[in-house]
Order: sequence, then structure tokens, then C-alpha cells
Amino acid sequence: MSHEIDITGLSKSFGQGAAAFQALKEIDLTITSGEFFTLLGPSGCGKTTLLRIIAGFELPSTGTVRINGRDVTSLGPSKRPVNTVFQSYALFPHMSLSENIGFGLKMLGKPKAEIRATVDEMLQLVRLEAMADRRPSEISGGQQQRVALARALAPRPRVLLLDEPLSALDLKLRKEMQSELKRLQSETGITFVFVTHDQEEALTMSDRIAVMSAGQILQLGAPQEIYNTPVNRFVADFIGDTNFLKLRVKAVDAGMAVLELPGGKAAQASLPDGMRPATGALVTAVIRPEQAEATGADEGDLHATVESATFFGTDTHLHLTLADAQGFVLRRQNRPGQPVPAPQSRLGLALAPGALRVLED
Amino acid sequence: MHGHGWKWLLCTPALIVLLLAASGPLLIVAVYSFLSPGNMGGVVWEFSLEAWFRVFFRRDIFEPDLVEWNRAHLQVFWRSIWLSLQTTFICAVLGFPTAWFIATRPRHTRTIWLFLITIPFWTNLLIRTFAIQEMIRNNGTVNAVLMWSGLIDSPIQMMFTEFAVLLGMAYVFLPLMVLPLYAAMEKMDFSLVEAGYDLYASRLNVLWHVILPQVKPGFIAGSILVFIPAIGAYVTPRVLGGGRTMMLGNLIALQFGQGRNWPLGAALAMLMLVVVVGALIFYLRVVGRNDEARRG
Ligand SMILES: Nc1ncnc2c1ncn2[C@@H]1O[C@H](COP(=O)(O)OP(=O)(O)OP(=O)(O)O)[C@@H](O)[C@H]1O
Ligand SMILES: [Mg+2]
Repeated sequence: MSHEIDITGLSKSFGQGAAAFQALKEIDLTITSGEFFTLLGPSGCGKTTLLRIIAGFELPSTGTVRINGRDVTSLGPSKRPVNTVFQSYALFPHMSLSENIGFGLKMLGKPKAEIRATVDEMLQLVRLEAMADRRPSEISGGQQQRVALARALAPRPRVLLLDEPLSALDLKLRKEMQSELKRLQSETGITFVFVTHDQEEALTMSDRIAVMSAGQILQLGAPQEIYNTPVNRFVADFIGDTNFLKLRVKAVDAGMAVLELPGGKAAQASLPDGMRPATGALVTAVIRPEQAEATGADEGDLHATVESATFFGTDTHLHLTLADAQGFVLRRQNRPGQPVPAPQSRLGLALAPGALRVLED
Repeated sequence: MHGHGWKWLLCTPALIVLLLAASGPLLIVAVYSFLSPGNMGGVVWEFSLEAWFRVFFRRDIFEPDLVEWNRAHLQVFWRSIWLSLQTTFICAVLGFPTAWFIATRPRHTRTIWLFLITIPFWTNLLIRTFAIQEMIRNNGTVNAVLMWSGLIDSPIQMMFTEFAVLLGMAYVFLPLMVLPLYAAMEKMDFSLVEAGYDLYASRLNVLWHVILPQVKPGFIAGSILVFIPAIGAYVTPRVLGGGRTMMLGNLIALQFGQGRNWPLGAALAMLMLVVVVGALIFYLRVVGRNDEARRG
């Protein structure tokens, strides 16, 4: 696995003096060849800015960008082996789909026959052969999206940058395009850097995810890693649903803490590296809604009262109140004939071993 | 299409104004061009093709049967068309970077630049033209500076040349090019420019393949707005060009004034209309050709 993109000490400030705004703060990042890499974060966290710096549209304030080992920090976008799929698609309205797709190759001075062959191949890849001569205004949004992809793929870049390419599509089309993107990525072997603020999209598509907030990368890892072991409260909150519980520490031992649960029982929770809370201190512990199981009212680790239930098709979310009035959401997979607990009924909760984790705030 | 039947009534006021203000006078001019000139100006109600004949030809004074081309007229036609084309070209070349500059400023400062562009409209055309005269006459500002700096020994003759007319017209009509160009650029999607660079285009290629096709409607509108008033220009060639660089507008005015040949003036005016409409149709055909070929 070779390094495709190396980013070191990258910062970006907009404006000057007192009005300066730091959009990116000391980012270090390595993206591997051929991976599907996702930048995930809330609006305004700097995803687009980072992508534009990789593409060459924006100069960083400090730091360097290397592509395949070559320092490209000061090179313009036309000199980088990188192509972008724009959020607005940015298809040339005065050109046919074929001309759009062939534009990059034409600018590279490729022979006409080669351009035609590649354009045909690309049209086939995105399944738009029948529309080659149409204008972008004469096709649907999803088709425009595919043309934008084909146009960016045609010059065979080392890296493809995609800035929220699916955000303008409706849900069904988005699902279709998600698998289409995965297919294209595995067929071409090109490194994809994908920007989204949709955590589900990130989890399902990525090889690795960088979770960003306020110009920094908070956590970088495989989807499972990010979901199962979020490093802080922000990541835990942003990715998936999480129960946050304020619990008292009873004992601490080698990376584990024993926490006092509402109702009097105790449970083990893992501690983040380097954190050693004092006995008796209040800490924040997290547990995913699907990592507990409903039991009989007098069994389990926790006792709860049902407030309401929300039906989601595949599963039901039970909104519970614990003995000390903290809220808890339990996700239960639906099975035929399984009754939905009535409001105000009582049940017990058994926590899955290792599911409870202490987080730094 | 509910209620479509009476909606055209809404345009009747505009139609009446158009009919009275545009078609009426036009009709009068057309009719006058087929009448005979009165001795003291005006027309005599006698049908004649003489005016149209004299637009293009002249008779020898001593031998009326000897007919030759009216070179003076043809020269004026040619000069009008050629100077107007050049003016349009100069305005396009100067107007493009200007409009681009304005369109790429932060939104709140663009208004200021547009305001500055329109300021000349606040001053009377005649006064502005005299201001140019003041700049370029033999002992005017430009010559004074050049002589003072020692670059030239004697003043350069700029007044009463085609150069002076061109300068004046380009100056007067430049805003008419900048404004539609700016409007087209403002509507442009600048991510297209980035897409161009991203797909390995050089600056020149981005300009040619991405920006120009986008602002083409602005160029078309601007060219029409400059060319049409340029071909009928009166004040600028009169003041800066004098008698030697007369344009169509001056020739027409001459016939209604000292020339005392209203039918000839009317025929020349009709000819100008035909030239302008013809040029317009030709231009739109040629420029709009690519789009139509594709849609066809
Ligand atoms: N040209 C600019 N001038 C000033 N500030 C800018 C500029 N571009 C971006 N910013 C600021 O930098 C921050 C990061 O912007 P960026 O577009 O990278 O966010 P993003 O993560 O892509 O958000 P979104 O999900 O909404 O697209 C924002 O606060 C934005 O206001
Ligand atoms: Mg963005």
C-alpha cells in the first residue's frame, strides 16, 4: 500500500488581521492508493476547503500537499493528476455529453481516435450511451451526476475528489448512486476522496473515514473503528445514535473503571488512553442503543420505564427513563409476534459486555 | 391557455405608442423618399425615383446622360460601416476585461464600479465630445504633454481624422458593451471555470472553451447596442471628424439642411435602416449558427 496523498501541517486562514478565520488547523493526513477515503463532518468544518486545497483551487496558508510523493503545494489544478466531481456538477452547458466527457483528454492533447474511444468507454461505464449527443440541460439530475463522474474519470486521474456529489439527489437515487460509485471505484482502482456530512453514507461506503470538526481531524479510522470506539463525545454524537450517561466511578483498574449504575448495580467500562478518573468522580459513559437488551422487569443491569416507542420498520426505538431519571434509547430488532411494550410499563436492561465506554468530554 | 383570447389586449397601449412613434414617422420617411424635392426644402407631391437614383449614382452636370457611381456617397457608406465595425470591435476588446474585472469583485463593491461606468451618461454627449476635442486638438492636453516630455517636436494631427472619430465613438459606446457583458458574466457559474482548470485547460483554453461560450449572449447584445447607434452617429463625427470624415448620419442631416434635398435624405435614411436590419439578421444567423445546428 503506497501513499497517494500526504498532507503535513496544513492550515488555511481566510481574511486578514482581526477578521481572519482559520478554516483548517494543522492537518496531518495520509491517504493510501486505491482507497475510498471519506471526509465527514458538520457544515462549515472545512471539508470543502481541504478538498479544494488538494485539487489546487486554494493555496494553503501553511503546510504541504504531496501526491504520489511529489510536492504539488504550489501547482495549479491543471498540473495535478487529480480530478474533481463538483457538488453543482459544473457541466459545460454548451457542450454535448460526449464533449463534456472528452474535454479533459482534449485539453491534454490526446489524439482524436483515443478521445473517442475513451468517451465511448466512459459513456458505457455510466450507462449513458444512448444520450451521448444531448446537452446537460436535457438530462435528469441523476444522469448529470453520472456525466460529471465520467468527465472526471475520463483522463484517468490518480485521485478523484468528490464534494458531496449525492446531496442534490433524492433518497432512492442516492442509494443507487452510492453503489454505482463503489462499483466505479473498484472497477477503476482510482483513489476516491469523498466529502459528505451524511454519517450513514460515510459508514456504508468508506474504507476509512476522517471525522472533522472546526478545521481539525478528530478521529481517523475504518468505519467499524469509528463507530465502535469513538474517541470523544463529538464523534460519538455525530456518528450513529448514542446514549450518554453521567455515572459515578466506584473503582479504577488498568484501563477499566467500575461504574455505579442507576438502581445500584455496577458495570465495567473501558477508559480512554491516559484517563484515570478519581474514585467517586462523575464521568460520561456511552453505550449504543442496540448494545443493550430488554429483559424481565426484575432482571438485567438497569431498570427502566417505557415512555414511548417509535416504529422504524426493521427495528423499534424504545424511549426509556432510568431509575435516576436519565433518558435511554433502546433499539430492538422487530420480530414477528413481538409485542411493543406499553407506555409506563417497566423492563430491565442487560448491557452487552464491553459495550459501556467512558469518554472524555 | 385559459383566458388567452383577450390577453393580447394588454399590449394595445404599447402597440399604439409603437405605431404612432415608430411606424408613423418611418412611413413618412419612406413616402418622402419617392417624392421630388422642393426648392426651399420640403417636398413636392410628385412621384420620383430620382432620390433613390442619386443615393448610388450621379449625372454629369453638362451631359445628363453620362451616369457614374456617386463615389462620395459610397465612400461615406463604406466609412460608416467600417468605423462602426471597428468601434464595436474596440468596445468588445476593452469591454471584456472591464466587465470581467467588475464581475469578479466582491458583491458589495460591484455596484460602485457599475455606478462609475454609468457616470458619463449623466453628462451631455456634446459636452463630452468637446472634452475629447480638448484632449486631442493640436494644442490640446495630449500634444502638450508629449511635446513637454520631448517625445515629439510638433503636434500630432489627431482632430478631423478617422482616428478621432473612432476614439470618440469607442469612448461614448463602451458602457453599452460593458453592461450586457457584465450581466452575462454575473449569471455565469464560476465553478465552470474551475472545472476547466481541473480538466487540464490552460488559461487561454478556459477563456476560449468555457468563458466565451458562456458570455456570448452578452457579446451579441453588446455588439448590437454599439453597432446600431454607431452607424447612425451624428455628433461625434461632426465634432471630431469635421467635413472630411463624414458619416451616414451627417450625410443625411446635410440633405435636410443645406442640401435642401429631403427626398434624398429620406432615401439615405431608409438605406441605413435596410443596412442595419440586414447586418442584424446576418450577424444573428452567423453567430447563432452553432447553437441552431446542434438543436436542429
Ligand atoms: N473564501 C472564503 N472566505 C472566507 N471564509 C471562507 C471561505 N471559504 C470557506 N470559508 C469558511 O471556512 C469554513 C469552512 O468552509 P468549508 O466550505 O470548507 O466547509 P464545509 O465543511 O465544506 O461545509 P459544508 O458541509 O456546508 O459544505 C466555513 O466557516 C466558511 O465560512
Ligand atoms: Mg462544503
